[in-house]
Amino acid sequence: MPEPKDLDVAVKLKVYETVAATGNAPSAADVAAALALSVETVAAAFDRLHQKRLLVPEPGDPSRIRMAPPFSAVETSFRVTVKGRAHFANCVWDAFGIPAALHEDAAIEASDGYTGEPITLEVKDGRPVPQACVIHFAVPAARWWEDIIHT
Amino acid sequence: MLLFRSEETVARWCETHGVPQRPLISLDQLWQLAVTWYGDRLTEESRRPGADEMVEIFAGIGLEGPFWDPRADQW
Repeated sequence: MPEPKDLDVAVKLKVYETVAATGNAPSAADVAAALALSVETVAAAFDRLHQKRLLVPEPGDPSRIRMAPPFSAVETSFRVTVKGRAHFANCVWDAFGIPAALHEDAAIEASDGYTGEPITLEVKDGRPVPQACVIHFAVPAARWWEDIIHT
Repeated sequence: MLLFRSEETVARWCETHGVPQRPLISLDQLWQLAVTWYGDRLTEESRRPGADEMVEIFAGIGLEGPFWDPRADQW
């Protein structure tokens, strides 16, 4: 079995490759089957990757992934379409993070955080297309991971 | 981190939630942040930036002060 550091890299890459290719996050069982590891071994890697803030497990179920930032494993109000495939982002920063991670252009369906007015953002030729909008961070950096799902 | 059509709707949201309004970020600043933070996320070497790196990254797009410092205990 690989050393934990190499194991964590392999698990991280499998998670991110899967979510990038399918739009869905794999479970510990999916990753275990793909890498010929035990589910317990992968779940332990998920936990170490969470400590490194590269994954967020589903609350109450450490064998499932809620976030592989910038990707969300559940539907959110930030839908990002890249080359015809839909992804969901955890926040507006992550909505731009998906095309940044995939090195692709993207269309982002979002909305005004107060009025709910739909706002479409676009990344084209590696740059954001100008749009009348602003971004507001309500939580200071020191508190982002106190409740990252809320942040 | 939320998106708003205008500063006016940010102010209404802050008032409704009882939180102070913070400096606003532009789309270009957010894109720079996204590229710096996530540009290598699908590589073996990717990792979340450390505290010093975070401060440097934020300062690089004009975001400075304790609100942007992950080691700060007041802001």
